[in-house]
Amino acid sequence: NLNGTAVKQYKKFESYKRDAVFPTRVKDLMILVDEKNNSIILPIMGRPVPFHIATLKNATTSQEGGFCFLRINFLSPGQGVGRKDDQPFEDPSAQFIRSLTFRSKDNNRMEDIKDQITEMKKNMTRKEQEKKDMED
Amino acid sequence: QNIMESFDDIYLDLSKQSGKCRLAESGLGWKVSGGQTFTLDKAEIISAQWSRAARGHELKVIARNAGVVQLDGFRQDDFDTIQKCFKVWYGVELIQKEHALNGWNWGKSEMGRNEFSFAVRNRPAFEIPYTEISNTNLAGKNEVAVEFSLPADGEETGTNGHLGGARSKGRKTGGATDQLTEMRFYIPGTETRKGKKKDDEDGED
Repeated sequence: NLNGTAVKQYKKFESYKRDAVFPTRVKDLMILVDEKNNSIILPIMGRPVPFHIATLKNATTSQEGGFCFLRINFLSPGQGVGRKDDQPFEDPSAQFIRSLTFRSKDNNRMEDIKDQITEMKKNMTRKEQEKKDMED
Repeated sequence: QNIMESFDDIYLDLSKQSGKCRLAESGLGWKVSGGQTFTLDKAEIISAQWSRAARGHELKVIARNAGVVQLDGFRQDDFDTIQKCFKVWYGVELIQKEHALNGWNWGKSEMGRNEFSFAVRNRPAFEIPYTEISNTNLAGKNEVAVEFSLPADGEETGTNGHLGGARSKGRKTGGATDQLTEMRFYIPGTETRKGKKKDDEDGED
């Protein structure tokens, strides 16, 4: 730790290694929850893009025009929440993805994904708390 | 000898159906059985990139008029053949590009010629062709919202189905099962005006 913020290692979590194999269903360009890797995989312009559960804040759904909209909110500066020691909140040049919204006609699947994200997030928070309690 | 290379099960611009992609000296083509043929003359081709994508490996061509053309579903072994075709026939270097897989939501947006990319530790996590963006606005003090153009009805192809459900420009994401509609960014230091992105390079490593 030479310089405090500058040399901080934001490597506490990583979704996939370089040669990782994604679940085969990424072919369908759909949102996937990969619990084994603590990640969600989002289809962005034909590419499966993973996001680690530690970057997620929450997920919400809404209905409009025959579609179900799933909004995935990420942790970012200026929201009064988040684990600032894990992420470069104080880095003046870091840009953050704050939210991504997807639409689908499959209402049930979108609700299901929302629930899975909420559940994963809850489990992570619980595990972290347990770890903290052990350390104390 | 070989005047043409042919590849099966290739998807054009997120199309729902796969087709046959052919590379010939004059340029490249793509066709679903019974459908019309999409062609790209070699004079159109500016650059080409090879990456992993959803269906397999993706050949992304930046074209003069057609913009960003995405062909997905190649096998890793196809790289050598395609690289050779592009080099010999089109005089274009096929560049391998690895994408970020670490799952972080912070990085840096970079504005390219035809697309904008979000880079995490100098590797793109994803790219968005400008043709797919319908609107952007400053949604909050440090927040930029980017909206995507989509077919009004999720089933509409924009090409009368002739290209196997491949979308015309500005409709690409309509081919996906789950369609991206909006993306919001936190951009630091936008209290006065945005657009001074050049000032803050390479800050995060």
